[in-house]
Amino acid sequence: MRYDRITDAIGDTPLVRIDPEVHGLRTVDLYAKLEMLNPFGSLKDRAAWNMARDGLAAAKERGETVVELSSGNTAKALALIAGLHGLPFKSVTNRMRIPEVKDLLLLLGAEIEELPGRSECLDPTDTDDPLTLFHQRLNGPGSAHFHTDQYFNPRNTEAHASGTGPEIVADLDGRAPDWFIACVGTAGSSTGVARALRAHDPAVRVVGLVGEKADFIPGIRNADEVQQVGLFDPATYDTIETVSADDAIDGMVTLVRRCGLLAGPTGGAAYQGAVRHLRDVERSLDAEPADRRTAVFIVCDRVESYLGYVRQRRPELLGRPPLRNSVATLTDTEARTATVIDVADAQKWIAEERPLVIDLRGPFAYAALHIDGAVNIVDELFDELLRGGLPFGRRRPVLLACPVGEKSARYAALLTRMGHPDVRSLAGGIVAWRDAGAPLVRD
Amino acid sequence: MSTAGTNTASTPGEPLHLEPRLEQLPAALLEDGRPLLHALVDALGSPLNVVLPEQIARNAERFRAVLHRHRITGRIFYAHKANRSSALVRRLVTTDADLDAASLGELQHALASGWTGDRIMTTGPKDPEFLWLAARAGAVVNADGPGEVEQAARLVRSYGLPRLRVVLRLSGFGTSGTTLLSRRSRFGTPARALKDLLDTVDLHRDAVEPIGVGYHLDTTSLDEKAAALEGCLLAMEETRARGFSPRAIDVGGGFGVSYLAHAEQWDRYTTALTEAVMGTRPPMTWDGHGYGLRKENGTLRGTLGLYPAHRPLAGAGYLDALLSRPAQALGGRPLGTLLLEGLHDLYVEPGRALVDQCGLTLGRVLDVREAESGGHVVRLAMNAGDTGLEDHGVLVDPVLVPRDGPPGGGGARPAAVHLMGNLCLESDLITRRVVHLPRLPRPGDLLAFPNTAGYCMDFGATHAQQQPVARKVAVHREGESWHWCLDEQYWPITRPGGQRT
Repeated sequence: MRYDRITDAIGDTPLVRIDPEVHGLRTVDLYAKLEMLNPFGSLKDRAAWNMARDGLAAAKERGETVVELSSGNTAKALALIAGLHGLPFKSVTNRMRIPEVKDLLLLLGAEIEELPGRSECLDPTDTDDPLTLFHQRLNGPGSAHFHTDQYFNPRNTEAHASGTGPEIVADLDGRAPDWFIACVGTAGSSTGVARALRAHDPAVRVVGLVGEKADFIPGIRNADEVQQVGLFDPATYDTIETVSADDAIDGMVTLVRRCGLLAGPTGGAAYQGAVRHLRDVERSLDAEPADRRTAVFIVCDRVESYLGYVRQRRPELLGRPPLRNSVATLTDTEARTATVIDVADAQKWIAEERPLVIDLRGPFAYAALHIDGAVNIVDELFDELLRGGLPFGRRRPVLLACPVGEKSARYAALLTRMGHPDVRSLAGGIVAWRDAGAPLVRD
Repeated sequence: MSTAGTNTASTPGEPLHLEPRLEQLPAALLEDGRPLLHALVDALGSPLNVVLPEQIARNAERFRAVLHRHRITGRIFYAHKANRSSALVRRLVTTDADLDAASLGELQHALASGWTGDRIMTTGPKDPEFLWLAARAGAVVNADGPGEVEQAARLVRSYGLPRLRVVLRLSGFGTSGTTLLSRRSRFGTPARALKDLLDTVDLHRDAVEPIGVGYHLDTTSLDEKAAALEGCLLAMEETRARGFSPRAIDVGGGFGVSYLAHAEQWDRYTTALTEAVMGTRPPMTWDGHGYGLRKENGTLRGTLGLYPAHRPLAGAGYLDALLSRPAQALGGRPLGTLLLEGLHDLYVEPGRALVDQCGLTLGRVLDVREAESGGHVVRLAMNAGDTGLEDHGVLVDPVLVPRDGPPGGGGARPAAVHLMGNLCLESDLITRRVVHLPRLPRPGDLLAFPNTAGYCMDFGATHAQQQPVARKVAVHREGESWHWCLDEQYWPITRPGGQRT
């Protein structure tokens, strides 16, 4: 397929059937609308392009910056669109909770402004919400902004009413699905798709999914937060259900491990919420329906940006067996076998036998003050070095130093286990060294 | 629209409790100390403040344990401004904690309670007398800027005082990568102006010794605090490079308290409040007050002007999280590790978090009548100034301490009440929200407002309309029995109620 511009590739995403073996629904065909296959990587490409495209030329003429309140995919799409048209882009957010996305936005050339956290000593008279402050700043004197306003802009909804929704109907051979299940963020996609589907068949049931308040799912608002969204109208949904971060990860794991779909947690939440809702529906059926029915959910974006999110919540999903020659494999008893040497003896030893002194602290601390002649190998690097074997000869004695002598003792024990005959750990570490008045230098 | 799911659904009419988180000591006092509480209010009047000096020592140990876990040496300064109590300050002086005095009066109180200058830091706006007494006593001065450094140096020279140790308070730290906006602060020197500040300190080397740098940010956000701590690590380097020998980084306070026992109750309550503001359920407050939320063109606007009453991360746990956080701009090692590796001492100044669970405020029920709008109005022998919970945006249920019998006994039904104060003033509501109690209170019962020791006990109490200001008593438990004395008569060597052997 040939395009003149990458933005022409937005939309027309595949609708893929989920294997019934995986979801276990007897009477429903479940389809995933793969919005993650949009060129900028998510569902938000459609809204971003639709909100921005007619205003870009004028914005360029006035020298404006494209601005949006977004912590994720909308910002990503807008950053790319702005770059494509030679405009700067700024994202203002109090919700930047995925560090990988933050770094990616910076790489794309976006400027990011993060709003302050809640006050610890509360001033109850200060009730201006971040949105109000944001709008005040945009409308302030000298402001040169093209604000796409995704939470209130009807062009967000329209992108899905004229694109995503009709595509689903076309791919289902001109029929609307019986259910449409969507996570609610800006409410743009759920509202737009619901409008298009209902225009085709008013009997479509729309299930909105919001996040539990205890944790967050990227791209989904919780039951309270959706009320702040201008595009959100409760009447759009036949029912609103909550999904948890755990549900989102469970669903995501099913999609990546069983369905070949590299879906992120938002798509996972949609899958899990869809299957749960449809199972309840099947359970309450008196008799098998005559025809199979269909349901559609949206896979919003891809998994790669959310490894940290998963690591924090389900480290076992990324678990690897411990490595040989790693301090993690030392037992406490082994760790206690390390030879330690106190400050006075260490000074004497250094003067007489000139051991290799290795400072395991970070480079920042090392640069500030260290034992004269010490080599700085930060513990993480040292750990990696040792996996390959001893990084120095056995005839050279070694003195290890860390802040308080704990880490150095563990590494000393490990080096001994690896066959080094004379490794010692500085007892009490650099702190004891300083407290004893022994010399520390900076180069 | 129907709402299903696991935790946010609520049915109108169902009592929306906000059960306080009570640790063993205050829970025991409210359970088996009831006769004592009634006797105390009978004798000393309503309202009455109760403090638990033992608890502050336990809390200090928790902060100490976090420092131990990170192998960091440091000092825990109790921000005295959270409570005027003598008992708390005198109990704490027997531990290894230190004290942060924010006024001449607080400094005098600390010195008179047995604190020596070497265990005191002075913070906040300082008049000359405050600064002089701090320097005279050998306290550390947390200096706001070059002006304060100069003023202090003049005092030191004029009165032949010992060289004054100062911590340089910084603010407005830069961040790398993204712009992290922070609330504007009245205090501190912008981090980018550290050079000029050090120039000033350099001129007065004979009189002042910079022992460290610090910040105090009014935010619950770990990100902002982590950025400030990174800024301080860099500032220590700059200070060292100028030939000084700073030892300490002061991360201020703001570690927070979790007031509620159950996260679900808080989530359910705030969802219901949002629904009430949006008009999808009946109002839950006096005159439909929205605690900062409002409805505009069908959309929710404003921001919830409430303290996050349930906090999974608060107090010592919050400090732990801060120290465990990777330093983005300094290679990603945890902040605690960088402090340790840089051989820096850590100063913390918890106020609210150090007096968590250390006290409660009692009010006598005077009158109970049916409200026109349904529910009941309960009038208390106290006013809104006597417990600052509402003023600080802390929503937590008071505990009913019945005059006779158990609180829920005899088939009693839960009751929804408005709590009114004793001032002849429309705005004197103890809280603007409808409070759900296990049963309708009766005149003579007490309501105990829990966990008021941090800023919510005597911070805003006044003599308005010549209503009595609460007395304060210190309560101590030994075995099964409770002992008490007036707060000002507490000394750590005497058991309240008699000499210790």
